[in-house]
Amino acid sequence: MHSMQADFLDAHERHWDDAEFLFLAQRWANADHLYGMATECGLKQLMLAFGMPYDMNKDRPSQKEDRQHATGVWTRFETYRDGHHLGAGYVLPNSNPFRDWDVSQRYAHRSGFDQARALSHQAGARQVRDLVRKAQREGLL
Amino acid sequence: MTTFDGILPIVAEVLDGHREAMTELDWLLINRDLNGRVRLIVPETVEADPVMRDHVRVVAEQLAERLGCHAYPADRAILYEISREPACQDATCYPLDGFDRVWIVDRLATEGRWERIAPETEGARRIVFFSIKGGVGRSTALAATAWHLAQAGKRVLVLDLDLESPGLSSSLLPPERQPKYGITDWLVEDLVDNTDGMLDGLIAMSNLSHDGEIYVVPAHGADPGEYIAKLGRVWMPKVKSDGSREDWSARLQRLLTDLEQRLQPDVVLIDSRAGIDEVASTCVTDLGANLVLLFALEGDQTWNGYRLLFDYWRQTRVAEAMRERLQIVAALVPELERVAYLSGLREHAYGIFVYSLYDEIAPPSTEAIGPTPDGSQRWRVGELVEGWSFDEADTGAPHHPWVVYWHRSFAGLRSLQGRLAVIDRQEVNSIFGSLLDGVGTVLGLESIHD
Repeated sequence: MHSMQADFLDAHERHWDDAEFLFLAQRWANADHLYGMATECGLKQLMLAFGMPYDMNKDRPSQKEDRQHATGVWTRFETYRDGHHLGAGYVLPNSNPFRDWDVSQRYAHRSGFDQARALSHQAGARQVRDLVRKAQREGLL
Repeated sequence: MTTFDGILPIVAEVLDGHREAMTELDWLLINRDLNGRVRLIVPETVEADPVMRDHVRVVAEQLAERLGCHAYPADRAILYEISREPACQDATCYPLDGFDRVWIVDRLATEGRWERIAPETEGARRIVFFSIKGGVGRSTALAATAWHLAQAGKRVLVLDLDLESPGLSSSLLPPERQPKYGITDWLVEDLVDNTDGMLDGLIAMSNLSHDGEIYVVPAHGADPGEYIAKLGRVWMPKVKSDGSREDWSARLQRLLTDLEQRLQPDVVLIDSRAGIDEVASTCVTDLGANLVLLFALEGDQTWNGYRLLFDYWRQTRVAEAMRERLQIVAALVPELERVAYLSGLREHAYGIFVYSLYDEIAPPSTEAIGPTPDGSQRWRVGELVEGWSFDEADTGAPHHPWVVYWHRSFAGLRSLQGRLAVIDRQEVNSIFGSLLDGVGTVLGLESIHD
């Protein structure tokens, strides 16, 4: 089987696009899931730019604590941002909008998701997306 | 090999080859990132329009080919944005010559922005003492100006913003009067919201004047403490909990406003760092200065430096906002051959003002000038020629230098404070008279020479 390389930037964009698509169609559960995935990928791309060590052979972050989903990676991002001289321009709010989000919720029943929930995660994902755009304009990505 | 300076000419050439298609774009940004690599930012609508998308792609391919290392590969060279303003945020943005809807967007690694010109302040006048080179007697001239204005009964606030080579405060204050804190302390404490009650500890009163007041806010306090560790943090933007940020010059502006509210000065004198430097850019462009004194020695280094700065103001289209606040000061004018020295200095200053800042005024056409056709023998000029410009010999022009003479009594002084404490009015006038008169006129004082 041909193994695929991680491309966090492209994955961030496609998850965001599809999340927005599903959100418009009021498919709250899967939109909500993809906002989390878009956030994880976007933040990992930025963490790489800020110096996160990466194991090219295993195609994953070298450190175990960096291999997290949206909730945890929101906090890990701060570690890398804080240590980079350009980091002051890439601040995320202290309150983590993905505290109530978990990747395992993909197994949950759709009735557990509603528009309000998707909206709050959309806002978080949009903040990450704005930072990714800014990094592209500044040449960090 | 294409270097950075080749980017704009090549971009203009490539776009010229697609001029017709480019006019269909609402806007186009030529984004030069922190590394000096070019990307195109275009409206999001282009992404959904196959014809325009292909066209922009062709432009990107040609740029990639011609700019080499200064461009991104075409498949990564185009960014889409909903509108122009957010895409220009936190960057220097100015139109590309020859195109109506194309802007250059420069991302700079520095916070200092020489083209962001704050409007003139409407409260107490703020006068910035700036020089392109150090060691030209700028701080001494500032101290003498403060002394003179205080003698005239003014309340003077003096800020030492030459943070990287602090020392002005020691010119104006004996050691026992140095305040507890300095500007660096305030800027560092502000990052952690710890400035409450700090203001009084920043201000000292000079003992030089008995009539008016000179309040001095130094770069550091009586004990500089960990000055270098603090200095490396003063430029930090402050990030609030909601993620919004306030850059360091806005923080400094806040400090200045607080000081003005507390002290109610008539005038604020600001000692800027020399050169095309980050702190200097804040002093000259961000603090709403009403007057920026440009200290100059007659020599290539001075004029090359000022030319770089003026050219940048012209290129970024802010010359008009800046030029009326500028005034050349001839610094340390030597004792010998003064007339020849000053006329050379004036000529060079005129040269760069004409080239970069003064309006080019074409003479009226010959048909428009002549005797009036009604036979009344009156002379007429049929066209009104307007613009902001001055003759070389115009003594009121910003290029026409105010003069500070070199004087042995200020050369190699160990303690300027001691020197100023015993100076008399006549001596000050003979050395600094032209500068003091100029500043006095701006503040509505009577001439000291009348």
